Amino acid sequence: MASITGSFTSLSCSLMPNQAVNRVSKLGSVSLSISGKSFPSLRVQPARFRVSCAAKPETVDKVCKIVRKQLALPDESEVAGHSKFASLGADSLDTVEIVMGLEEEFGISVEEESAQNIATVQDAADLIEKLIENKGA
Amino acid sequence: MKLQCLGKQLFNSSANLPRIQLSSPMEAHLWYIIPSEVQSQSLLNQYAEILSPCEKEIVFEMRDEELRKRALLARALVRTTIARYQINSHVSPRSLKFIKNVHGKPEVDWQHCEQWRPLPLHFNISHTSSLIACGVTVDSPIGIDVEKKNRRLKHNVMSFAQRYFSKHEVQVLSAISDPQLQLQEFIKLWTLKEAYVKALGRGFSDAPFKTFTIRIRSATKGSFAGNSNFEASEIVVDSFDDSMDLTSDWKFVLMDLAGSHYAAICTKKDSSIQGIQITPTKLTVWKTIPFVHDECVSGTAAVVIISG
Repeated sequence: MASITGSFTSLSCSLMPNQAVNRVSKLGSVSLSISGKSFPSLRVQPARFRVSCAAKPETVDKVCKIVRKQLALPDESEVAGHSKFASLGADSLDTVEIVMGLEEEFGISVEEESAQNIATVQDAADLIEKLIENKGA
Repeated sequence: MKLQCLGKQLFNSSANLPRIQLSSPMEAHLWYIIPSEVQSQSLLNQYAEILSPCEKEIVFEMRDEELRKRALLARALVRTTIARYQINSHVSPRSLKFIKNVHGKPEVDWQHCEQWRPLPLHFNISHTSSLIACGVTVDSPIGIDVEKKNRRLKHNVMSFAQRYFSKHEVQVLSAISDPQLQLQEFIKLWTLKEAYVKALGRGFSDAPFKTFTIRIRSATKGSFAGNSNFEASEIVVDSFDDSMDLTSDWKFVLMDLAGSHYAAICTKKDSSIQGIQITPTKLTVWKTIPFVHDECVSGTAAVVIISG
């Protein structure tokens, strides 16, 4: 099954250890780099046009708090929207636990496929807001 | 389970990595490094030297010193390990190139070798804060995972299992009354499931944990559940969507590594061998500090096979 990446550079350059997942980009961006092959049965997210795609700062802050707690990070260590879980020292078990923490905090349910595709704090915050929005709809 | 120890090998030369042979698809090699044993800054600099510019960028963008060191050691371990199996002297740890397959799994890019046919080597890496491991096979996909034995979960084990594991696995875990044992079995199952998904190499969304069951079952009568000391046991995976995976193609090894970690290795069975008889993986394990010291630890207390 092919995957969508946000930028070509992330395909060739991000070589985090223990990472076997291709990160899915945010909704709306659809650049496909799959070594020149075409995949007719590709699953593509419908483009959603929103004025702002980024989650609210409060959501990002809450995610940072949960991440800090899960990874037992010292107060002075930097955790922000752009922070990658892997760069913070999270392994796959940590990531899943973080998602569980987020589900509890926000009262949402994250599908396993989405959970495994979260790479940064921002990804998590965006996903949470999308799920909250869908819940309310 | 066949184990073969090649004896201690001590090498002080930084220019050489002792060449290792790996010829059979039924063999798997595991190399591991303990980060706390690498303290020399000059050695770390040597490791940084063999990384690609891209890898260096990723490593050095990490703020935390320990994480940076871990990332550096992981890349150095992968590069030096793969280089050991190359008979062609043009291949050095630094010259290796890596790409990701269409699903994001890192692989060696052999396209730059025009004059000779390289060994079809597969690798997979896993790390914890206190141990980094790299598994290697020839002609078979491989997935590995290591976890600390005494790892604590922030959540209750059973609620975690109910959320992410299959029904059968939840049943097996809930039957264990001792919380310590239950946690241990959970961690073992986790490493096996991770290793399987990583061996498949198609990304987690293709094989969510809930869609397959891993079970450790005894191959001989007289063994009973919960006792992991039975002589012969095998680990099998059943998928609810068997159409894609042909789950009988995969085999596992689960071990207690260095007294501190559980490690699981998943490889594909040799398709030329038919029949129900399980051919055990011949596993050899080395503890290494690349360029400094390699020690074969198979058959020692550092490697205790639990199953497979």
